[in-house]
Amino acid sequence: MSIPLRNFGKTGVQISALGLGGHHLGGAKDEKAAIEIVHRAVDGGITFYDNSWEYYRGKTESWLGLGLKGRRDKVFLMTKVCTHGRDASLAMQMLEQSLRRLQTDHLDLWQIHGVVFQNDPELFIRPGGAAEALQKAKEQGKVRFVGFTGHKDPDVHLAMLNTGFPFDSVQMPLNPFDATYFMSFEQKVLPVLNQRGVAPLGMKPISGHGDPVQRGVLSASEALRYAMSLPVACTISGAEELHIIEQNLEIAQNFVPMTPAEMQALRDRCSPYAADGRFELYKSSLKFDNPEARLVHDFPLDTAQVEVKDMVNEAKDTGHAWPQI
Amino acid sequence: MHENPKAGPEVSRRGFLKGAAIAGVSAVIPSDKVPTAVQTKDEPALGNFQSPKRPLGKTGLQCSVLGMGGFHLATAGSQAAINNMVAKALDHGINIFDNAWEYLDGLSEERLGVALKRRRDSVIVMSSVCTHGRKQDVAMRMLEESLMRLQTDRLDVWQIHEVIYHNDPELIYAPDGVLEALTKAKQQGKVRFVGFDGHKFPAIHLAMLNRGYAFDTVQMPLNPLDPNFRSFESNVLPVANQRGIAVLGMKSMGGSGELISKGAFTPSEALSYAMSLPVASIISGMDSMEVLDQNLAILRDFKPLSADQMQQLRDHGRQFDDGRYELYKSTMKYDRDLGRSLHGYPSAAELPV
Repeated sequence: MSIPLRNFGKTGVQISALGLGGHHLGGAKDEKAAIEIVHRAVDGGITFYDNSWEYYRGKTESWLGLGLKGRRDKVFLMTKVCTHGRDASLAMQMLEQSLRRLQTDHLDLWQIHGVVFQNDPELFIRPGGAAEALQKAKEQGKVRFVGFTGHKDPDVHLAMLNTGFPFDSVQMPLNPFDATYFMSFEQKVLPVLNQRGVAPLGMKPISGHGDPVQRGVLSASEALRYAMSLPVACTISGAEELHIIEQNLEIAQNFVPMTPAEMQALRDRCSPYAADGRFELYKSSLKFDNPEARLVHDFPLDTAQVEVKDMVNEAKDTGHAWPQI
Repeated sequence: MHENPKAGPEVSRRGFLKGAAIAGVSAVIPSDKVPTAVQTKDEPALGNFQSPKRPLGKTGLQCSVLGMGGFHLATAGSQAAINNMVAKALDHGINIFDNAWEYLDGLSEERLGVALKRRRDSVIVMSSVCTHGRKQDVAMRMLEESLMRLQTDRLDVWQIHEVIYHNDPELIYAPDGVLEALTKAKQQGKVRFVGFDGHKFPAIHLAMLNRGYAFDTVQMPLNPLDPNFRSFESNVLPVANQRGIAVLGMKSMGGSGELISKGAFTPSEALSYAMSLPVASIISGMDSMEVLDQNLAILRDFKPLSADQMQQLRDHGRQFDDGRYELYKSTMKYDRDLGRSLHGYPSAAELPV
């Protein structure tokens, strides 16, 4: 079985229309289960792999690296750098760590993670900012393509694009709730990317943690099909358990794009819930903002967050508030 | 692109990472220009000082430039402590008292009601109705409860509380919605003037105003950080001014004093900034006699800041323009559970920010 391939922007490279999200991998029961999920994804035709330097304090990159051992050449590997406004030199250190954890000498795509705050674009493009690291890593052959991700505010995405930096890809939440909310990536950002030939990568097709599916507003299949029917290069969805990846593979392998009428019907069905942002907590709360980002921007931490728990554990008896990288 | 990482301006990095710590060391405006807040526990020499008054929009009422917030007041300790604070505020001409039906499950209104007993007629009593999208019958029941708790038969200002979700204007303007309760309560003489408040998006305030209901008041966050992040000052204040709607400022120090505790501004800078805007009153949450004394001393020495001084404060605030100290806009910290639950959001216990 295979999954449809699509163009990764103007690069001439093709990637699978469904990608495997990195964060959920850390929720797998153990290393063996995570490796099994990755193997199943590769065998099922997924070529696009998402991750981030800061997920589960590095665990998901390590597990993905183990899962891709012997399979690295079959896939398009992406991870993200977590400077959150800090310097290019820090970004380069993070890149070396990511490469080591992922057991590879190059990334296919390296993206700036979590561009969510109003001042992030300015901090990115400033002299000495992370933009210089993207450029340098490309020149050194350590990454093939570069981009950025964020889940908060379409205007922040547009400000990033307006820095003029030559991004190959841009990642954003795309789902039928986003479509009619007043801060809509589908309405405000997606058309700009398509017009410029930058590869759009969709994420959070099922709203991050599947809330609206659990509440019966729509099915996982409808949500995923909607996101994949948009003009995007790839829709990234995570799986903590094998049965989730099986379900997603089946949807992707049998993918038939929704008609415009079907898409509109789904938007209409979701719009009463979309209006107050209840299923888009990544926009309306800090829930999806990692502690690394919050610390740098001096926002409050949430002790219920898995990365914060890990930080506290790692810092025990070290005399440090949290481990330095 | 420059290769030399050291070529960058120091400003952003230092201000960005250590902004709070370094900014706290010195005030933005030299202290001979702006009165410094009284930091000692000694009572400030307030003498017979009386708060200046301003017109409350077109209502014909005159309100003190500083108003007393209901939520913080109710957390100030015993009823006796609250009585003392209210008595002192009244002695110095503070005459506008805010509250909300949902604060501390009604305790906040009850305590204010007790503290204002016998002085009711000399003050502007406000409360807010917490329908959060529900119908007018809910609003009318809440009004009766608010009146009872506040021990009065009429509110001077009744506002729709916490208009912060994007579909709120639509729900508020719906047939049989809370606006009909506002009109009816006015007709019945149970409230004199009506308005709304919210702390999230200027666009939501504008939607409320532009749909056309004749509000007498509108409440919004105003402080020297606001102009650089989703600004009410730039987007909403001029519209309200132009229409003669009384503007009540709030969160002049960040909602829980974040502007002060993070070292971004002194209390005097923050409060003076807000009071220098074209507003009727700045509602300030004061949870102890010390804070009340501090604010009264700032008010006593208050001279409206010049355009230059205002700009200096705004410029200083620019380094914090990611919303880090305006958590009511950038997080869910200030969104109360009742509104969250009616809008299908997790509770504060499940999702604090």
